[in-house]
Amino acid sequence: MQALIEKIGRSVGGVVGTLFQAGRDAVDLCLKTIIPFMAFVTFVIGLILETGVGDAIANGIKGFSSSLGGLMIVCIICAIPLLSPLLGPGAVIAQIVGVLIGTEIGRGNIDPSMALPALFAINPQVGCDFVPVGLALGEAEPKTVEVGVPAVLTSRMITGPISVVVGYLFALGL
Amino acid sequence: MDALVAGAEAFIQVFRTAADVFVGFTTGIIPIVVVFLTAVNATVNFIGKERVEGFAKWASQEGWIYMPVRYTLLPFVAVFMLTNPVCYTFGTFLPEKHKPAFYDAAVSFVHPITGIFPHANGGELFVWLGIAAGVEAIGGNTTALAVRYLLAGLVVILIRGIVTDIIYGIMVSRKENA
Repeated sequence: MQALIEKIGRSVGGVVGTLFQAGRDAVDLCLKTIIPFMAFVTFVIGLILETGVGDAIANGIKGFSSSLGGLMIVCIICAIPLLSPLLGPGAVIAQIVGVLIGTEIGRGNIDPSMALPALFAINPQVGCDFVPVGLALGEAEPKTVEVGVPAVLTSRMITGPISVVVGYLFALGL
Repeated sequence: MDALVAGAEAFIQVFRTAADVFVGFTTGIIPIVVVFLTAVNATVNFIGKERVEGFAKWASQEGWIYMPVRYTLLPFVAVFMLTNPVCYTFGTFLPEKHKPAFYDAAVSFVHPITGIFPHANGGELFVWLGIAAGVEAIGGNTTALAVRYLLAGLVVILIRGIVTDIIYGIMVSRKENA
């Protein structure tokens, strides 16, 4: 009997402990990464909305973001193997451009049907800065890393524009 | 004097607007992310590392038939369960020659997944949220967009995996011949 009670008590404790730890991790992530980035992003949005900067940017990205061809050009530029590792870190560039385009969609300057292809167009460089580390995490041999890095970067030149088209097709009928 | 006041007014207005947006994000995004994160973190812990690794071993087999599993299902599970950047450790289970392609597929999925499962990449939410906020502002359906982003992401990572696999193969054979 005592063993049973002990067992129940212990497993309930385990479940509660896991849930509590999960909550702690969640709040931790929110406080340490999500909210700080949110502060930065909202400041950028405030600047765009309240100053003339927004209109200048709008004219700049409108030409590129309102047609499939324009998004392809953005995508190909971001995927250039020399640029992509520079644009990659922390996805900061992709996030800023995402906010810029999102704000312009909200103001009615860009058609919302372009949202999905744009999500891919601004992001062909994802992880291009991280290839050696990512491969090392997968315990790849140095030889694999040596060839793998240029292979991934080259591949993005092809798959980047394809991803924009895939995004465009998936956005049909939205 | 009036010009000065107008200038100050315009200056502070930037921060007022920013603060309004911040409040909107805080009440609109943070609560659901926190609750969701908690639930998923707990689920991941309950399922346990061993079971996930067992699946990874099955999914990382060689051969053309396993390609859709290797470059869609495996990255999905890796990113969902382990989140960015620990997900790339699943590369361990793959044959050496498929590791670059798996990395490419997995890393390309860390943003498409955030539309529905924000826990997977909490630090880089604004690729999705930035654009989604705009769509929401004009009354668009962001859930429909998120589902499509996820599905399109799965198609894209399959293509990326296959293309990178081929390019890696070509580069390796060229190097060996040189």
